[in-house]
Amino acid sequence: MTNRAQVYARIIELIEPLNPKKLALAEDTSFAGDLEMDSLTVMDLVASMEDEWDIVMPLNMLPDLETIGQVADAVTKLVTK
Amino acid sequence: MHKSLMTMTPTPTFDGLAYRRAAFPTLGAALDYAARGAKGMNFHDARADLVRAYPYADLAADARGQAMRLVAAGVKPGDRIALIAETGPGFAAAFFAAIYAGALPVPLPLPTSFGGRDAYVEQIATQLRSCDPVLVLSPEGLFPMVEQAATGLCAAHDWAMYFAAPAADAALPEAKSSDIAYLQYSSGSTRFPHGVAVTHEALLANLAGHAHCMAAGDGDRVVSWLPWYHDMGLVGCMLAPLANQISVDYLATEDFARRPLSWLTLISRNPNNTLSYSPTFGYDICARRISPSINVAERFDLSRWRVAGNGADMIRPEVMQAFVDVFDAAGFKASAFLPSYGLAEATLAVTIMPLGEGIVSDLIDERTLSGSTGARTDARRPTRYRAIVNCGKAVPGLTIEIRDEDGAVLPDRKIGRVYVRGLGVMAGYFRDEEATKAALSPDGWLDTGDMGYLSAGSIFIVGRAKDMIIINGKNHWPQDIEWAIEQLPGFKAGDIAAFAITTPSGEESPAVLVQCRTSDAGERNTLREAIRSKVRAITGMTCVVELVPPRTLPKTSSGKLSRSKARSQYLSGEIQPLDVAA
Repeated sequence: MTNRAQVYARIIELIEPLNPKKLALAEDTSFAGDLEMDSLTVMDLVASMEDEWDIVMPLNMLPDLETIGQVADAVTKLVTK
Repeated sequence: MHKSLMTMTPTPTFDGLAYRRAAFPTLGAALDYAARGAKGMNFHDARADLVRAYPYADLAADARGQAMRLVAAGVKPGDRIALIAETGPGFAAAFFAAIYAGALPVPLPLPTSFGGRDAYVEQIATQLRSCDPVLVLSPEGLFPMVEQAATGLCAAHDWAMYFAAPAADAALPEAKSSDIAYLQYSSGSTRFPHGVAVTHEALLANLAGHAHCMAAGDGDRVVSWLPWYHDMGLVGCMLAPLANQISVDYLATEDFARRPLSWLTLISRNPNNTLSYSPTFGYDICARRISPSINVAERFDLSRWRVAGNGADMIRPEVMQAFVDVFDAAGFKASAFLPSYGLAEATLAVTIMPLGEGIVSDLIDERTLSGSTGARTDARRPTRYRAIVNCGKAVPGLTIEIRDEDGAVLPDRKIGRVYVRGLGVMAGYFRDEEATKAALSPDGWLDTGDMGYLSAGSIFIVGRAKDMIIINGKNHWPQDIEWAIEQLPGFKAGDIAAFAITTPSGEESPAVLVQCRTSDAGERNTLREAIRSKVRAITGMTCVVELVPPRTLPKTSSGKLSRSKARSQYLSGEIQPLDVAA
């Protein structure tokens, strides 16, 4: 059983190597605004999350996901579906 | 019979149909001919497993049926039908349904990253306003956003549902080769888009020319992950193989972005010759993805990669060399690289390197490139050279001239503006006479907006006069960045200059100079942060922001902002940015 807290914690670990400025990561940290991730880095992260939980995150989901918390919600939903 | 077993066989590389090199009066006729063979499109998932084989015969049959649905709905020749360009059978069938119905398909982009829903909806709405379609069709998943974008502009439907409705048999119109075939938005800014209008004859002439230069034909297979809303993806990797009866293996762009090595897996798996294109960054991310734990020689076989095309952005020789260093073990041949130069306004290809010569570059003094002629200003500083790649010779049917600022034709090895005339040049920008006149002369010369020089018939592109900024293969226009900043209180047009700078690693990065009237360093810092986040919110880009004193940005003789002058003054230190509190 994977719960949201576990998903969130693991997402934070996956983001760390993509966070060269070592920003403090929180629920409302945004990918574009705070982490300044370009689209290639984002897709890299998506691939590692897909591998981690054996899920597929469809492209049309991405525009609605601005923050780490929103991504954790989306992944939790996909994992428990 | 079980359906999945049938569809899991890819379309063949060889069949009995005689090869015809894009010699057709219209794009519809090209598909009709390809449909007589067994070849077609093959769609793969992110792990490079085949999901759907789609023979050209099935595509033609689906598209004809769907064209009747369009005709029944009142679509007339010349109407526009906007289509979200998702790589898959849905878009391909709808594109050709529009072609068969005499309507102009208009491919629109996909979202590419986390967040940015509003920006995507606004981008689609802006392009819909520009092309004024009767209908926009999208895949199911994106439909809510597309429907929102189309509100008040045109009808919007999910294409699967739209084409599921039955339609009575209807006579389909006969297109002429001089008719406009489609509109393309890969050039032009997001905020101020220009739809490039291309006729059937221009398209097919360019496709024939480019197949000739690559000696494409029997025994070739195309592998592509390029997006269908970009000219190299749509024209180069969808329409070109179809008009040349070649099977294609597709990987969706978003899947390539997640798992770039799947591209090389598809090439390795092809037992015959592969033709595959990519901008510089595609080769770059593959080379970087290889870690010491991956046995390149065991995992890949790139020895039959006959044409590894380069184009769509500035070709960086050091990146290509890094790719060769990594994939030499898999049999990749550096001579497979095929540099090219082109733009949507010329359908696709303008020049292509002779086959087998690979990447050849000139070393040019940076001062020559920036247009300075005098002696070196500081003898203590070393001369810096930049490698400029030979992009080859004009494809058959096109002529190139290099001109100076007054329009005089320049001799070999003199840098000037690149002009092109001949088969394949666009008819114009859709419903934009002013922009068309600015780009296309009455006698048919297209001003490419690029800077370069000719040497014995080969072109060397040194930069872009149109100020476009290309990052990871994506075009960004300074107008869009400047517009974003103008939305902040206290700024007006002319206060801001956006342009590309080259970082020490050779990559492009956007930079903006903003005229600032605040003398307080702390306030300046707040302002700079506000500008940075505004640009990110609107364009999705992070850029270098420098505040400069009022009235420092240079103007052209007609009073317009000169971005190129602002750039060179900033790089030379003539424009000094204001201090900002740390």
